[in-house]
Amino acid sequence: MTFREALESGKFVVTAEVGPPKGTDISEMLHHMDLLKGKVDAVNVTDNQSAVMRINSMSVCKLALERGLEPVLQMTCRDRNRIALQSDLLGASILGIRNVLCMTGDHVSAGDHKSAKPVYDIESVQLLQAVEGLNGGRDMAGNELRGATNYFQGAVVTPEANPLEPQLIKFTKKVRAGARFFQTQAIYDVEAFKGFMEHARKHQVKVLAGFVVLKSVGMARFLNNNVPGIRVPEELIGELKAAGKEKALDTGMDITARHIRQLKDEGICDGVHIMAIGMEEKVPEIMSRAGLL
Amino acid sequence: MIITKKKERGKLLESIKDYQSLFLVGCSECASLCGTGGDTELQELKEALEAQGKTVTGTHKAKTGCQVLGTKTELKQYKDALNAADAVIVMSCGAGTQAAVEMFPDKPVYPCNDSLFLGNMTRFQIFDERCSLCGECIIDKTGGICPLTNCPKGLLVGPCGGVKDGKCEVSQDIDCCWVRIYERMKRIGRLDDLMETTLEPKDWAASQKPRAHSAREDKKK
Ligand code: SF4
Ligand code: SF4
Repeated sequence: MTFREALESGKFVVTAEVGPPKGTDISEMLHHMDLLKGKVDAVNVTDNQSAVMRINSMSVCKLALERGLEPVLQMTCRDRNRIALQSDLLGASILGIRNVLCMTGDHVSAGDHKSAKPVYDIESVQLLQAVEGLNGGRDMAGNELRGATNYFQGAVVTPEANPLEPQLIKFTKKVRAGARFFQTQAIYDVEAFKGFMEHARKHQVKVLAGFVVLKSVGMARFLNNNVPGIRVPEELIGELKAAGKEKALDTGMDITARHIRQLKDEGICDGVHIMAIGMEEKVPEIMSRAGLL
Repeated sequence: MIITKKKERGKLLESIKDYQSLFLVGCSECASLCGTGGDTELQELKEALEAQGKTVTGTHKAKTGCQVLGTKTELKQYKDALNAADAVIVMSCGAGTQAAVEMFPDKPVYPCNDSLFLGNMTRFQIFDERCSLCGECIIDKTGGICPLTNCPKGLLVGPCGGVKDGKCEVSQDIDCCWVRIYERMKRIGRLDDLMETTLEPKDWAASQKPRAHSAREDKKK
């Protein structure tokens, strides 16, 4: 069953993130992919994440396909204008890539090439419209294509943004622009997430809740202070503290597993997206603790 | 107005090291307001150059340095001083400097300033960028606040995921422009407009460089 079929069938789907390395040594990444194979419904391949230059998403998606994993091509508007974006979308399509996640992208000032020219010729909503157009056989200029794409397109949303309403407006615009599924920024407060889902359920879209595993108290505090739209509640930080340094990661994995289980059992959303960020080998273990394997 | 800042003195001196005598042109408009091309700055540069053993054959503060015809007329009175100069230094924006290049086809012309942006003076000599001269103004759709300029990503549809407590992902010193737009639209009772409009991708053809425009032609229409 493909990722799209799984979501459309109502199965609780699991996706995990794969970050391409900086350099041509891909052995570790391939190892991570093999660990995820057969366990997750799809792997998201990030696109120069945090504006740090790495191997491009498309090549790694192709490798994922060859290894028997279904890729989600992450695509940001930071580095390419509308010609390059559409050209890449056509290229990915002929390589057999069927899922695309449309994002605006972190600003170059966050990355490792701070003097690069940021592009942002279009942004996430307009990129979704472009994908919709290519699926319909037309490019952004209205030209007819010789052969259309057949993408299953998604977008991202930050359910705990502050202020929230402007994000919700953009969420609605993404739905209107053709987003079929959403993967969220990491959530740590299931009750607050339920509130967001009440809004999301007004639309015909699938929502995958995002998870980043907490490794330590320090990491939780770092996320709270530095990452927009992430809010780790004090109770969870207390739980990590109580566990002590040694067992913090284990507790973090438990917390993630517990939240995933609750989302699934209560039917709150349609699946989860695990962003392991360097701990890909832990994903199967988290899934099994959550009762997904 | 066009916001300029002085180039480092050392860099300027390096670029003109081959010339002994120089003529200085300032500008009484933007560059004066920015403190980069007024009377004080002309005098300062003159003294600095003389301290380096150079000769300043003359100085002039143009009425409007980018107004080519007017500046040309003003400079006629300095014929001899200009002839005596090996090069001209212009203390204005890049437009003023290139106006001088047009006026002196046979003489080297050097910029004294870096041109930054089109800005508003919000307090004395404090400047903020509000408009990027995109060629087709869209702020009728965004509550009068320009996202192309005020959002570091120039996003036209809404905020990115980087907003943190109303501040921009790129710098906590700036308010997220899309939160500002949202708040303003709410305040003026036009939140529905914001919900309904997804702006088309920007038509960059309208700002293709170099641009030219004839207000005279416009008048005839
Ligand atoms: S949209 Fe912005 S950049 Fe364009 S003309 Fe209006 S204020 Fe200037
Ligand atoms: S936080 Fe707001 S102003 Fe900053 S880049 Fe994102 S949308 Fe633009």
